[in-house]
This record gives sequence, C-alpha cells and structure tokens, in this order.
Amino acid sequence: MAISLGTARTRRRRPRESRERDGRLAFWLVIPSVIVLTVVIAFPVISSVVRSFFGDGIGDVPFVGFQNYADALWGYGAQEFWAATGITYLFAGVTIVLETLIGLGMALVANRAFRGRGLLRASVLVPWAIPTAVAAVLWKWAFDPQGIINAITGSTVVWTGSAVPSIIAIIIADTWKTAPFVALLILAGLQIIPDDVYEAAKIDGASAWKRFWYITLPLVRPALLVAVLFRLLDALRMYDLPEIMTNGANGTATLSVLVVQSTLSQLKPGYGGALSTLTFALIFVTAYLFVRLLGVNAVDQASSGKGAGR
Amino acid sequence: MRTKKRLIAVVTAATALTTAALTGCSTGASDNGGDGTGPITFASGKDLTGAMPQLIDKWNEMHPDQKVTFLELSASPDDQRTSFVQDFQAKSGKYDVIWGDVVWTSEFAAHGWLEPLDADKVAGDDILPAAVESATYEGKVWAAPFMTNAGLLYYRSDLIDAPPTTWDELEADCEIAKQNNMDCYAGQFAQYEGLTVNVAEAINSAGGAFLSEDGTEVAVDSPEAREGLQHLVDMFANGDINAGAITYQEQESANAFLEGKAMFLRNWPYVFTAASAPDSVIAGKFDMAQLPGLDGPGVSSLGGINLGVSAFSKNKETAKAWVEWMQSEDAQRILVSVMNQASVRTDLYTDPDLVQVSPYLPTLQKAELTAVPRPRTPNYNAVSLAIQKNAYAALQGNVTVDEAITQMAADLEQAIK
Repeated sequence: MAISLGTARTRRRRPRESRERDGRLAFWLVIPSVIVLTVVIAFPVISSVVRSFFGDGIGDVPFVGFQNYADALWGYGAQEFWAATGITYLFAGVTIVLETLIGLGMALVANRAFRGRGLLRASVLVPWAIPTAVAAVLWKWAFDPQGIINAITGSTVVWTGSAVPSIIAIIIADTWKTAPFVALLILAGLQIIPDDVYEAAKIDGASAWKRFWYITLPLVRPALLVAVLFRLLDALRMYDLPEIMTNGANGTATLSVLVVQSTLSQLKPGYGGALSTLTFALIFVTAYLFVRLLGVNAVDQASSGKGAGR
Repeated sequence: MRTKKRLIAVVTAATALTTAALTGCSTGASDNGGDGTGPITFASGKDLTGAMPQLIDKWNEMHPDQKVTFLELSASPDDQRTSFVQDFQAKSGKYDVIWGDVVWTSEFAAHGWLEPLDADKVAGDDILPAAVESATYEGKVWAAPFMTNAGLLYYRSDLIDAPPTTWDELEADCEIAKQNNMDCYAGQFAQYEGLTVNVAEAINSAGGAFLSEDGTEVAVDSPEAREGLQHLVDMFANGDINAGAITYQEQESANAFLEGKAMFLRNWPYVFTAASAPDSVIAGKFDMAQLPGLDGPGVSSLGGINLGVSAFSKNKETAKAWVEWMQSEDAQRILVSVMNQASVRTDLYTDPDLVQVSPYLPTLQKAELTAVPRPRTPNYNAVSLAIQKNAYAALQGNVTVDEAITQMAADLEQAIK
C-alpha cells in the first residue's frame, strides 16, 4: 500500500518531504488493518497448522511430526479422506457445470428488455438470498420419503437413504441454491457489452446463434470465468447441505464435514488440523491451476475486450 | 509531524480501551468470599418446558446470597457440548454448573474439567442405579444425575391384546400390521446418535456389548452382537421396518406412529404427551411397554441429563449444594409434574399423584432398572460414529452383518486409542 501510494505521488512531482510524510501517514493508516488481518486470519491459520504437528488425547499432547498427515493420506484415515476428496470434487464438478449452464441461460433471459424484467430478476435471486442451512432443511423435507418430490413424481425412492439418490438430492439442492449467483455475475458481464457491436453484426447479416457464439460468449468470458472460479472455491468447501440433508451419511461426507467431525465432534484438533491444512492445500492448488490455465487468459481478454469488435 | 502525534494518541487510546474492555470481562466474576460460596451460573440446554426458571426461583428465594443465574444454550446437544468444551478449554469458570448428556460425563471427567462429587450425597440408594452408573468414571462420581430417560415400546392396544416381550413375538405381531396395511415397527435409523441408541438396545438385548465394562477394550466382535444387529437387519429386509425408516430420527418415527401408519414405535417417553392429546388420532388406542428382547424383555439405552460442577468454578461449594438440591424430592417433583420428565429418584415412580398424570411411570421404572448406559469412554463421539457408520451400512444391506461387526470392531479399536 505504502509503496503504491508513493509511486502515484511521484508522477505528480510533489516535493520530497511531502512524499515522505504521506508515506509515513499511509504506514500508520495501514497498520490497524494489518494487525486485524494478522489476528483474525494469519493467527488461526498458523496455529491450526502448528497444532496439526501434535497428537491428540488427554493431557499434554506429544509432538508427532507428520504423523497426522500420514494417517490421513495413507494411514487409517486414508479411505475416509480420499472418499471425502472424491465426493467433494464430484460435487464441485457436477454442480459447476449445471450452475454455469443454467446461470448463463437465466442471465441471457434477464438481460433482455421486456415487461416484468425487474420482477423476474428479483425472483431469480430468491434461492440465493435464502441461507444455505435453511435451504438444506427445506430440501431435506422435500426429499423425505413422504415428501413433496415423491408425492409429485409418484416415486417411492428413499432419497436420503442410499448413496446415489443422496448425491443427486444434494446436487439438485446446490444447483437450485447457487445458479442464481452465477446468473447474477454473468448478467453483470452481459450488461457491459455495448449494443453497437450487436448492431454491426446484424448489419453484416450474422444469425442470432453466430452473434451469441462470436460476440456474447467471448465478451462475457471474463465474467463467466470469475463466476466459475468463485463457485469452484465455494463448492470445494461445501458443508451445510450434506451436513444437514444426510449428516454426512451415504458417502456424502465432504472434506469440510470430515474436518468438523474430527475437530469439534471428536475433539481431535491435531488430526482435524491436518485435515483442514490438506483441504486448504487442495483448494489452493485447484484454484491456482484454474487461474493459470484459464484466468490469465481472462485478464488478457478483458483488457483487449474493446478490440473484439475489430 | 502533528498528524503523526495525533495518530499515535488515537492508537494508544484505542489500545487502552480494548485492553480495558478485555480485562473488564474477567474482573466481574471474582466477588466471592473465598469460602467457595456465592452466586453461580447454571449453563443448560434450551429449556423446552419453560419450567426451569421455576426451579431456580425456588432455590434463589432460599439462598439470596448464593443466587443461581440461568444461562440457556442452544437446543442442539452438539452445540451445547461445543459451548461447554470451549468454556472448559479456556478454563474460564464462566459456567459453574453444566447440564450434560449422560454420554459426556466420562469425556469431561477424563479431561479434568469436572469436580468430583461426594457419592453419598448425589449417588445414594434413592437414585436409580443405571443413572449413577452413567455419572461414574474410573470409580468416582463426577456429576449428579438429574433427569433420566429410557426407550420404551409404544404399541397399538386396539390391534393387539398384549405387547410382545420377545423379538419372535414382535415379528409374529407384524402379520396383524400387514392385515391393517400398516408398517410394523418404527425406530430411529438415520445415521446419527439415535441409531447408536437403537443398535445398542438390539445388541445389549441379545447379550452383546460394544466395549468392556471399563471402556478400555473393544468387545463387539461377538456372536451376541451379530445376533442383535441381525434382528434389525432382518426386519428391514422383510419389510417389517419400512425402507423409508432409514431416514427416521426421533420426530419422523414418532410421526409415523402418531399418524397411525406404524403399529409399534421405539421412542422415549415424551411421545406420550402428543399421542394422548385430545386431537390425536390414536388417543386411547395405544399403550407403552418395555422393549422386547431375544428371550424376554429387552434392554433399554439410558438417556438423561447429569449436572456437573466445573473444575474451574470459583464458587464450588454453592455449585455442589445446588446440584444436590436439584436431586431433592422438592425439585424432582417439579421435574416430573411440571416439566414432564422422568426423575432419577426411585420413589417417585410409584407416587400415586404422579402416576395418575403419567401412567407409564411404573413401566418406565422397570425399563430403567435394567437399562444400560451407552459406552462410557472419553472418546464417546468417535465411538458413536464408528457404531453408526457400520450399523447403517448393514441396515442398508450394503455389507453383511458379519462384515459390519468386524469393521465396527476395527473402527472402535481406532476410536478408543
């Protein structure tokens, strides 16, 4: 912060003394937020990592090095950990594809000018506005053997009573809940596309499909990728839906569910700390790869966006 | 330069204020006379009956200088436990007396978070033995049993003459349910604590156990435990338990019985109130009995609440006196008559006034005399999770009973380590 403020000032050729004073002021202004960030973010993260190198039990806990990590990765907890990793990525993959497609559709509709558009936009956002825990309870009731889903479809599936139906139920609930969020981000991207590029394309005789494929999609791509990145980070730490709808049963225990079970319910902060560090590492690597493979590109696209109508 | 000075002043002032606010929290509690008596705080789960203040007011009138403050926590047992654990780990002593599920006593005691109590005062002959057992860990009493609970069999007395006492009789009665287009048996089979309770009842009734008496060794790998679990698995397989019951917690299973869809229900005594209400469709058509077992009456799992005194309390003498008083006949009468909960005092089960209000009391007493606490171990939650996961897989038919019990034994071994 201090540096960037300084360079900004240099360009205006302010006297040296004034620059120094600004730098010092900036330093003091930044200090409180640095302290707050250290206390609320760095401290818990570091202490959880440190704790993960110690054992669990009653009384003084011994230093165990990487034992907790070994237990989780190839020891006794390995089966559980990799199952949780698998289901977490399965949930993330399937829900992101569904949510992006549905969200894009919703955004395209909401971007058209028609009567009642405001109402449609507002109503589309309702699922996103409902707290996830509440949505989870609603869907749990809906998927009850005697619930509304079975009543309407006439099926007798015990949705939250076995693996595949449970996974489908959670994916449906998550898609319902989060597609509006994706729609909102994409809608913001759509609204900055100027009308004249469409008009130019129309004059050139481009079909609706071509306009979508060659204008809308490339221009909305940055917003789309940001939406997908947000969803990726969010989906990889999915907790509320499986915790409430199935209590982690039927193979739906995600990494976050596992972390909470170990740390809070079983009072194993060491093992739980290792699990949460591993979860953090997985999410970090995934997000990093995503940004490296697609994200940098997105920034280029955004800056050269004006040139897309060439 | 002036700006800088002013800034420093502001930062210093802010720091001073924060420090004052932080230390302010800890100075409030130190107003005791040094003899361990003085005001205390009672941290309890959500009081769904609304009668707890009545009990506390009664004490406060008698002891104006040792007032009890009532602190109501979440309705969810998991959240209550988290609050208690955080308070204990911080050694704050903010909660002088805690209300704890019977299965937590061992864990809290093992961590050194509870103050040992005088067995003569809180675990005498007039207290139900199974409740005392639940409050005992490594030979000492760590909490005062306050409320108790045992699973009972609800049955439709308009459809069958006498309740089944064995599993064979239960299955024979299921024919009657079929003729009436009803589910035969409902219980709690979702993967959560309730499943541990139901599986424990089946396994204990068949003569099996999860852990050894002292909780240090795994004992589940036995033919008896297999027979007990097999009973539940069979009932799922032949439809005597509806397939949907794999999602049942207490309320869903109670609803099936209350709506007349199930002929038998395993549940706690609280369902009596809803079932006998004037607008209930089964009012007057049901009764309650002991759970059936392998060769005779089965074994209930013990539920209930023990009151523990925090090892970090500053007014321990008052806290101890208060938990003793909560066990007294005065207090327990309010518990039974106003709060509609089961007492830990044996003499209150045959009291004519109370039996008139709650006719199931003698049956409940019989169930409680043979009830078994769930495994007593400091690692209770890990133990319970190991039981739930493997039993659940067996009930779903994903693994055989034999595989489930073998894996359960391995998981329990890991859990109590």
